[in-house]
Amino acid sequence: MKLNRALMRGRTLPLLIWICGLLVLWEAVSWWLLHVAKTPLAQSKLPYVHEVALTLWQYSGTLLREGGATFGNAGVGFLIGALSGVLLAVLMSLSRMIEQLAFPYAVASQMIPILGLAPIIYGIVRDEQMSRIIISGYITFFPVALNMLRGLRSVDPSALELMHSYAAKPWAVYWKLRFPAALPGLFSGLKIAAPLAVTGAILVELMGAQRGIGVIMLRNLYYGPSHTYMFWSTVLVGALLGMTSYWLMSLVERLVAPWQPEFRPQGGSR
Amino acid sequence: MDINTVREFSSSNNVITTDTDQSRDPWKFLRWLNPGFVLPLLAGALFLLLWELQIFHRIFDLKKYQLPLPSAIAEAMRDNLSLLLSYTGYTLTEAVLGMLIGSGCGFLIALAATAWPRWGGGSLTMVAALNAVPIVALAPIMNLWFGDGIGSRAAIVTATTMAAMAINAYKGMAAVDPLALDLMHSYAAGKRAVFRHLRIQNSLPYVFTALKINATASMIGAIVGEFFFSSRGLGYLLSNSIKVAKMPLGWSCIVLAAIAGVIFYLIVERLEKVFIKWHPSRRA
Repeated sequence: MKLNRALMRGRTLPLLIWICGLLVLWEAVSWWLLHVAKTPLAQSKLPYVHEVALTLWQYSGTLLREGGATFGNAGVGFLIGALSGVLLAVLMSLSRMIEQLAFPYAVASQMIPILGLAPIIYGIVRDEQMSRIIISGYITFFPVALNMLRGLRSVDPSALELMHSYAAKPWAVYWKLRFPAALPGLFSGLKIAAPLAVTGAILVELMGAQRGIGVIMLRNLYYGPSHTYMFWSTVLVGALLGMTSYWLMSLVERLVAPWQPEFRPQGGSR
Repeated sequence: MDINTVREFSSSNNVITTDTDQSRDPWKFLRWLNPGFVLPLLAGALFLLLWELQIFHRIFDLKKYQLPLPSAIAEAMRDNLSLLLSYTGYTLTEAVLGMLIGSGCGFLIALAATAWPRWGGGSLTMVAALNAVPIVALAPIMNLWFGDGIGSRAAIVTATTMAAMAINAYKGMAAVDPLALDLMHSYAAGKRAVFRHLRIQNSLPYVFTALKINATASMIGAIVGEFFFSSRGLGYLLSNSIKVAKMPLGWSCIVLAAIAGVIFYLIVERLEKVFIKWHPSRRA
């Protein structure tokens, strides 16, 4: 009983049981589809987990290389987009006019299906590398700019007064007060944008590119049932890339801005 | 991400710029000339003008077939209006259907995670992981499962909207005022009563934030889903007209998708005003 409770206290064990349960259920349903229900294309619809894992292992070299290409392209676009987003946020916080110019469009652009622009940008540029970077950057740009601006503006007024009373120079106010205050906002923007940047990169690859995980995904999808396991492996790699990008951002946030309430052992929400 | 906070932000700005004594202001109409309103409008008009005069084409060395002029887009829109409208309706149906299912599932997950924190918490983590899966990876699978009809896109939208709702609603249900919880306990209220009268009410503002995020996300999910296997919808028409080099038609798809997305968002915002009016946070 005591041992049981010690095991149960952590959050890891329930999560592990969830994952294992899902995997077992997946395997069972897959078997059921294939042998009992005899659905057409049973393995394409829900392949055996162990077969997919085997394929993942066998072709890990190729998958790693292509996944790396996708990740790199998304990363370059992401960095460019994030940098220009931060720059725009700083400009908007400095100048009222720039904010009035840019802010309504920034908000409106949040409501436009940005990923829908992917084929159009590809149609304009006709260069996979370029369009991947443009789309990843474009997706990153606005969430970062908006969240960063909110952070820059949400500085404690009394801290600002203190800086004034010390006759701090504007750059000192920015460097010592506004930037640290904006970091949580910046990272929530980055965490939204990172998986989207990967999505954008894969989307361009699906529309016609030479390299990247999306290319193999599409190819194996069209080859039909014989390439099912490979197709599912590419899907898994795509999912992993998205999650890795999010996880990376969380890690960087923990390193750069560790003072935030949600990192305290008690948790921030209560 | 938080369109909600963005909105709050912009509205608070408006308060500052328009909060003069307007009741006795004879120059009331001049309020429309305030820089917060006129500047972006002018910038937009200038942008369109530069585009129409092919300045961008010269700067970026583009041809007219690569980046069609606004007039050509408007013409394409006029010529194909009935087709575009019916496709917009189709895509919007997918988006709304998927969002309703996804938000419903997300809310249920949040309920479960609050009621049984130890085991439900795991499901929350897994939904968050699902959120990081690229739509483009989900789309072909959903097509395999649900065929190429409306169901597969609704399923894609469902998967993409579930996490935002689950996480937001959970935040709302967990961040209950401890005093209110103590009061409920002192009344010997059961778990169910606490949920009905306290937690669900408390989660509503968070739920509407999630709905507003999902309104945009669901349009993206539906359109990207249509890129793959579809014979109808804005996403299908968009990718198809790019393939056959009908760029103006492709651009008019984007314009319509944006308009539909904005209308969808505004409807959700309207609903929020109606539903949360009674909530303490709105009474002020």
